[in-house]
Amino acid sequence: MHELYLARCIISGVHKALADETKGQDVTDVRLRVGKLDAVVTETLTFLFNAIKSDGGLPNAGLTIEEEDVRCVCDDCAQKFTVAQPVFLCPACRSAHVTIVQGRGLTIVDITTTLEEPDHADPCIN
Amino acid sequence: MRIPVLTNLLEESDALAATNRQTFEAAGVFVVNLMSSPGAGKTTLLAKTIDLLQSRGLRCAVLEGDITSTLDSERLAPLGVPVVQANTEPFGGDCHVGSHFVRAAIEQLPIHELDYLFIENIGNLVCPAEFYLGEHRKVVVLSLPEGEDKPVKYPLMFRECQACLLNKLDLLPYLDVSVPLLRERISTVNGDMIVFPVSAKTGIGLGTWIEWLEHGRQELQARHVGARHDVS
Ligand SMILES: Nc1nc2c(ncn2[C@@H]2O[C@H](COP(=O)(O)OP(=O)(O)OP(=O)(O)O)[C@@H](O)[C@H]2O)c(=O)[nH]1
Ligand SMILES: [Mg+2]
Ligand SMILES: [Zn+2]
Repeated sequence: MHELYLARCIISGVHKALADETKGQDVTDVRLRVGKLDAVVTETLTFLFNAIKSDGGLPNAGLTIEEEDVRCVCDDCAQKFTVAQPVFLCPACRSAHVTIVQGRGLTIVDITTTLEEPDHADPCIN
Repeated sequence: MRIPVLTNLLEESDALAATNRQTFEAAGVFVVNLMSSPGAGKTTLLAKTIDLLQSRGLRCAVLEGDITSTLDSERLAPLGVPVVQANTEPFGGDCHVGSHFVRAAIEQLPIHELDYLFIENIGNLVCPAEFYLGEHRKVVVLSLPEGEDKPVKYPLMFRECQACLLNKLDLLPYLDVSVPLLRERISTVNGDMIVFPVSAKTGIGLGTWIEWLEHGRQELQARHVGARHDVS
């Protein structure tokens, strides 16, 4: 329900991250990582992003949303596990005291632009 | 070319919330963000809670997140406490109270003269759970008629909150809901959740809730006094 707000945050986040010489219209894709616990309606977010991106100065940008599984670590026995159902119990020792280590939060991962890669580019970034 | 970013999408909102928190710490005001589905009893509980705190000589204020009306603010008016109405954005942000509303409320309130600030969030079990406002505690109100499945259906809300008020306990004889089952469901989602079965109508159970609030506030005050000593 706050997906329009999130769509606006994507646009402002992209502009903030772009170096001055890069124009918004060069952006072809924005990759967003969404924790499954955040219960974002991805179809709605994509629809709203597409609806406002031209006014937001990103007319050619697509939006790629990656959903991240919820993972926890047990506070009592340190077991790591994936939470498929909303049951936050340690599968090893049944402890209910667990800490979420993944699957909560929204992150702009990277931005793809039509600009050429500079020669001295970091080899880790493809 | 791919430009790595890796920034939190809610960076701005979170940064403002952190500023709010600093203000609350410096003023020694304990801030509680009260959330629930519509009609679970937030306003009724607030009225009772504030009345009980006032009888102990404590000073309270409310940030009222109601989207479309000032009805809840009017209900709190007889208590004589400052109430700031957050008229939420006409479109876009109208599913939750944002950290910028809280910032605006701070400007309007005698923040240094307060012991408690209660934020009545917008009736919704999904969106408000996502946003940190700078509060000290997040509390969810779940009323018994809503049924036992809510913690499992809205896990983010029940993970984020430190306490749950199980409200409308007076209605138990008329409902098919089981309090032990509800407690069990809450603990499978959040084993650290503190649960207070209460009735805002009859006042039952509110004593332990008030003690919990006071415990939190006294911790804050101890930090506050400690910080003042450090400076001097
Ligand atoms: N029987 C009973 N009714 C209650 C109790 N608490 C609240 N109510 C009633 O439930 C209805 C809704 O209560 P509110 O306090 O307005 O609920 P709210 O969560 O503030 O609602 P919104 O702000 O609209 O989301 C009112 O008619 C209250 O009188 C309770 O403990 N027992
Ligand atoms: Mg209300
Ligand atoms: Zn364990």
